[in-house]
Amino acid sequence: MTTVEKKEVQAKKEWEPQIVAFCCNWCSYAGADLAGTSRIQYPPNARIIRVNCTGRISPEFILASLEMGADGVLVSGCHPGDCHYSSGNLKLRARLTIMKMAIEQAGINPDRIRLQWASASEAQIFADGVTTIVEQVRALGPLRREWK
Amino acid sequence: MTQTDDPRIGVFVCHCGHNIAGVVDVEAVAKMAESLPNVVFSCDEMFMCSDAGQQLIRDKIEEHNLNRVVVASCSPRMHEPTFRRVVEEAGVNRYLFDQVNLREHVSWCHTRQPEAATEKAKDLVKMSVARARVLEDLPIKTVKVLATTLVVGGGIAGLRAALDIGDRGFDVLLVEKESELGGHVAKWTHLFPADESGAEVIKPLIKDVKAHKRITTLTNSKVIEFDGYIGNFEVTVENLKTEKKQKFDIGTVIVATGFIPFRPYGYFAYGESPDIVTLAELQELAPSDQLLKPSDGTPVKKIAFIGCVGSREPGVKGHEHCSRHCCAATAKAAADLREKIEEVLILYQDIRTYGKGHEEFYRLARRRHVIFSKFPRDAKPVVTVKNSEVHMSWRDVLADRELTFQPDLLVLATAMIPPEDIAETAKMFSLTRSGDGFFNPEHIKLAPLTTHTAGVMIAGASQAAKNASESVIDASGAAAKAVGLMAKGEVEIESTVSHVLSELCSSCHTCITVCPYGAINMDETVDPPVAFVTEAKCRGCGTCASACPSSAIIMYHSTDNQIMTMVEAYLCSPAQLEGGEPQ
Repeated sequence: MTTVEKKEVQAKKEWEPQIVAFCCNWCSYAGADLAGTSRIQYPPNARIIRVNCTGRISPEFILASLEMGADGVLVSGCHPGDCHYSSGNLKLRARLTIMKMAIEQAGINPDRIRLQWASASEAQIFADGVTTIVEQVRALGPLRREWK
Repeated sequence: MTQTDDPRIGVFVCHCGHNIAGVVDVEAVAKMAESLPNVVFSCDEMFMCSDAGQQLIRDKIEEHNLNRVVVASCSPRMHEPTFRRVVEEAGVNRYLFDQVNLREHVSWCHTRQPEAATEKAKDLVKMSVARARVLEDLPIKTVKVLATTLVVGGGIAGLRAALDIGDRGFDVLLVEKESELGGHVAKWTHLFPADESGAEVIKPLIKDVKAHKRITTLTNSKVIEFDGYIGNFEVTVENLKTEKKQKFDIGTVIVATGFIPFRPYGYFAYGESPDIVTLAELQELAPSDQLLKPSDGTPVKKIAFIGCVGSREPGVKGHEHCSRHCCAATAKAAADLREKIEEVLILYQDIRTYGKGHEEFYRLARRRHVIFSKFPRDAKPVVTVKNSEVHMSWRDVLADRELTFQPDLLVLATAMIPPEDIAETAKMFSLTRSGDGFFNPEHIKLAPLTTHTAGVMIAGASQAAKNASESVIDASGAAAKAVGLMAKGEVEIESTVSHVLSELCSSCHTCITVCPYGAINMDETVDPPVAFVTEAKCRGCGTCASACPSSAIIMYHSTDNQIMTMVEAYLCSPAQLEGGEPQ
């Protein structure tokens, strides 16, 4: 094994997906709180950014996160019909649908973005969602490699 | 709305006893924070929310002339109001405070990975400090609170709340969708813990409500529109019979929409014989000297009850909770009926007569020779109907024997579940619901009667399955919350609203179409017309800010910069942040 190969193996071993998670305050952030209170264990790869509503999430936030090197982005909000602000989540969903097509055209696997609905009582769904995006992204490898 | 002083940030990392410090290396987190830009003070402390912790924040603000504070502790949904108050007491605007969630989001959910948890904690603190650097102070705004409460639901909780508020000199609008007040309690014949029927208990309440000068009662009516904000809600109520609509201005709201008894189709042959009824149906039978079989009108000589029907079923959505009232209600009904009926049998999984005076009913039932038999949780009794006779068989856990019984009447003590229209009610008042389907309180321990919609309280069984006396306690509590707001006459509201930079607005109307509250309009007095936000109507979702193609909308306290700086702090190395290349 050459030194370069060795280095690569090591890098592979050490690489852990970096996930930016945007959560709405009312459902998913509270769901994540409940996951903690219920001591549900899930991978520590996601960093949650609290926004009032998923409707606040501009496509730019997600694109910029990927550009800055996030391996995946999780967006978690209230179920359709349950939005604290009545419909912000639907607007986010519409934006995300278009954006996923756009990033795919740009050569980024859309599986790096996950949209999920998790209410304040769905701690397990929230935790499972984090696990899913982490595993999805782990299978894809680091984003920076995808660029090259 | 600008902070001209250079940021001077204080970081306070909380141990929360062993809750955080048991997993996260809090000392390392605090030490790391010292090196972050603009951080002039950093420490770790046992309990930041304690009096000592709060005083520490105030002292350090003064000592180091801090103008921003980051507390890394529990969820901001728990203690953000506490710490905002603390920094404000020390002269720092509440919007210059930021909280990191190291407990619910780190130590409690990554318990077995202390190193990764500490790394995550450091990242979250970095992100929060980066956000704190660009936070801006905002004015503290107050609005008036109209002195009228809307009480939704005229059951025992709604009635008690209406009376409490009316008696303190505030107006009440009581809306009930049925034609009569009194809810379920009015129909019940064996009410516990009092030895009175439900009707006897609730009649004086209804009488007082009807006679009260300050209480307006609308029966056969439903709230169909709900708009506005704390202290200043606009409500439209429709009469379901006449379809007449009326508008009201309201200051506070109490939602007391109660429950419905579960109709257990698919359980214990319910629906296959008229002699299998729910406890609620038994309670609602017209009072008479003798209990008669619904099928043929002959006297009931043998009766059986089964407990926990549709309650306490792990994994069954909406049926996992304990319905709390049934054990005592069953014991009371069984004890009452044993006076007239030869054989009374209660089959149970567990008996929990937990409340004041409830244990006495259990003992009374025992004393009157009601037979109790425990069945295993994983092998429920089998009920079949043969030749219109009800047959039961089950294994008695304590005797370890298979038993059978043929009751004249089988009563199923079924779960309390939310009314069919609860989703509609939740949407109307922007309430969230917990796993049992009932409304979520603002905080399960610390704020069980208020909700995340400011100015809207919940009371009684709309919050969780509970008995009548507990509902009344809730009602008085919720009434006190409403009266507290109205007596003060004004309340502080969040300044986190959106704002249009008119010089950037391209008059495209996108924001107007996305705003769920109609809070954005065009100012036609200027040419070209530009959008503007009516702040009182804005609830701060920020959907307009992300939709605006001209970046002309600022969402205060959640600006693009305040969000993106957190992403940067997480993903970019310090060198990159200074403009260098990724390493």
